[in-house]
Amino acid sequence: MIYKIDNFKRTYYAMNKIRLSIAFTFIFLVTQAEAQQSNKILIAAASDLKFALDSVVNAFKTKNAGTIDVTYGSSGKLSEQISNGAPFDLFFSADITYPNQLKEKGLTISDIYPYGVGRIVVWSKKINPQTEGIKSLLQPSVKKIAIANPAHAPYGKRAEEALTYYKMSEATKDKLVYGENISQTAQFVTTGAADIGIIALSLALSPTMKHENGNYYLVPENSHQPLVQGVVLTNHAKGNDLAVAFLQFVKSNTSQEILRYFGFSKPQ
Amino acid sequence: MIAIDIEKKLHGANGELNLQCKTQIHTGELVTLYGPSGSGKTTILRMIAGLSRPDHGYIEADNHAWFNSQNKINLKPQLRNIGMVFQEHSLFPNMTVRGNLEFALENSQPKKIIDDLLELTELEQLQHKKSSLLSGGQKQRVALARAMVRKPNLLLLDEPFSALDFEMQSKLQDYILKVHQHYNLTTILVSHDIVEVIKMSKRVLVIEDGRIKKDGLPADVLPLDNLRSILNHLQKI
Amino acid sequence: MLDFEPFYLTFKLVTVTTVILFFIGVPLACLLAFSRSRFIVILEALVGLPIVLPPSVLGFYLLLAFSPENAFGKFLEHHFDIRLVFTFPGLVIASVIYSIPFMVQPIQSGFRMVPQSLREASYMLGKSKLTTLIKVVLPNMKSSLITGCILSFAHTIGEFGVVLMVGGNIPRETRVVSIAIFDEVEAMNYNHATIYSTILLVFSFLVLVSVYLVNQRAHKVHYLS
Repeated sequence: MIYKIDNFKRTYYAMNKIRLSIAFTFIFLVTQAEAQQSNKILIAAASDLKFALDSVVNAFKTKNAGTIDVTYGSSGKLSEQISNGAPFDLFFSADITYPNQLKEKGLTISDIYPYGVGRIVVWSKKINPQTEGIKSLLQPSVKKIAIANPAHAPYGKRAEEALTYYKMSEATKDKLVYGENISQTAQFVTTGAADIGIIALSLALSPTMKHENGNYYLVPENSHQPLVQGVVLTNHAKGNDLAVAFLQFVKSNTSQEILRYFGFSKPQ
Repeated sequence: MIAIDIEKKLHGANGELNLQCKTQIHTGELVTLYGPSGSGKTTILRMIAGLSRPDHGYIEADNHAWFNSQNKINLKPQLRNIGMVFQEHSLFPNMTVRGNLEFALENSQPKKIIDDLLELTELEQLQHKKSSLLSGGQKQRVALARAMVRKPNLLLLDEPFSALDFEMQSKLQDYILKVHQHYNLTTILVSHDIVEVIKMSKRVLVIEDGRIKKDGLPADVLPLDNLRSILNHLQKI
Repeated sequence: MLDFEPFYLTFKLVTVTTVILFFIGVPLACLLAFSRSRFIVILEALVGLPIVLPPSVLGFYLLLAFSPENAFGKFLEHHFDIRLVFTFPGLVIASVIYSIPFMVQPIQSGFRMVPQSLREASYMLGKSKLTTLIKVVLPNMKSSLITGCILSFAHTIGEFGVVLMVGGNIPRETRVVSIAIFDEVEAMNYNHATIYSTILLVFSFLVLVSVYLVNQRAHKVHYLS
């Protein structure tokens, strides 16, 4: 008799476990079909904005309700994702060419607003780039130089241009290490994977990097194409009032001040 | 009555074997298929059961066609209502003894048959034990009881006791005889053990190289020069 | 202040993937274990592909397939308003494909290990192949079923390349723990990265220990002399 009940209980629990997992599965899949809410926005932003944009978002949140999520990455990659249907509402690009391309493809619903101009710097913990400037890259103690991947990261492209301008491409090409985006590039240098790197000014000015006790040298603007950065609303933001409000906020004085603080100069 | 006329080509360890078997087994008989390993006797049994498929021929049970290669008939084993006891590894380890028997029950069958069988095979004390915890002899007893739950008319046994010791074999052979008589079965037993054959059956089919070489009483049909060893064995019983 | 959303996402992904894989895997493994067709090797090779292929290859093809710029993705968007790139459902599909062999192969071996005489005994008792499968075969290969589930679970937790390509790094949608860790390291938030990694490690370890414990108990066999 006891065994009969035991068997029954076991089957009952097993069946219930199976039913429960099926139920879970359905619930999860169904909740994914929930309609888009208008009080959340998803932002794609170039990695150089990591700290600047976080501050802007925080400032925005003090006066506006809603959920704001940001995904940072290299501008080229994010642009590609948006072309492939990634659900971003706003796209902050370190190179204004990418939003232009999206606009040509008909994937944007606003004008492109140039929110600032970026700068590249030579950054290192091991040596002080201030002493020799760009020539620091040629020091014998430098074995690895980190730059962002020029294929899809604007800061990488500009770094490459600067190296060409100073006729250092040949001398440095075997020492280059490519970061997937400018943030990872900075991380290569702070962890010592690379001895020195060409990174974004905005990152060099961030609290995190300041803590790393490194030094930087501001690379003269005439050595590369300008890093005109632009932001645009994508098709996905259609009907999303919060997204529109955020873009407005980016144009406001508060946001502009934050951007200046992180080294973005006003576009011409 | 079971009428068989079948052919099958087998590929064994010793090369090819052409199985050819034509015979009749009458209702109520207890027949043994006797022969050395590899002679094809197990295959013949499996073909009657429906677990193997002959290449040509027919198998009829009481004039119902179970297999007919010309008419493309091949009745599934599920529908032949046969009780079968395998050599080993046939009890369901995830069930108790009683569970194994209850599994065999058909939809509307009353459970009384289970208690009867447990009594007949003296398994009442063990009925709630997990079948994987039984000894070899106990397991085969359960297998026999389970084979009978659906009250089949035909009982097939494939060397059911070869893995057991002599005492246990003896006991279990008695159970088979008991069951055969109690339920008026037709029984076919496959064995390579002469003593078993003599004890159990009144009719032996000697299978060699896939053919029925002899068919008759054990005394007439089995090799006489083994008589001394047989007598020695029998003295032990 | 750590964001726990990635854990929730990972848990969701792993659970949903494993459940779906179980219900796909058992029939598939059954087919592979018992089919006598010569062409079954093609299916077997297909099932085994995700083990051999780099995750980026799988991710790449899935991205191509799901992208609304290409035929299939466009069809889905147009007729069902479903988008599979950069969404959780897309991630589930990618995970299922990526972990198929880890569910199917252990179960396939499990099927082969159940003695044929068990199945045949069930048939002789009048039970259909389906009943035999559910009541006789599956209950007697529990450890293979459990192994399949554990391996799929573990494999899905560790997914990165496929997730990144098909899912992107969308918070609350596809930013699972493995991605979040990478993200935090990139942003130089090493503290966060450490916490994520440690929690994941401890959790996975505990799950494995408990499953192996259960498996061990199920295997204690007492032998009669």
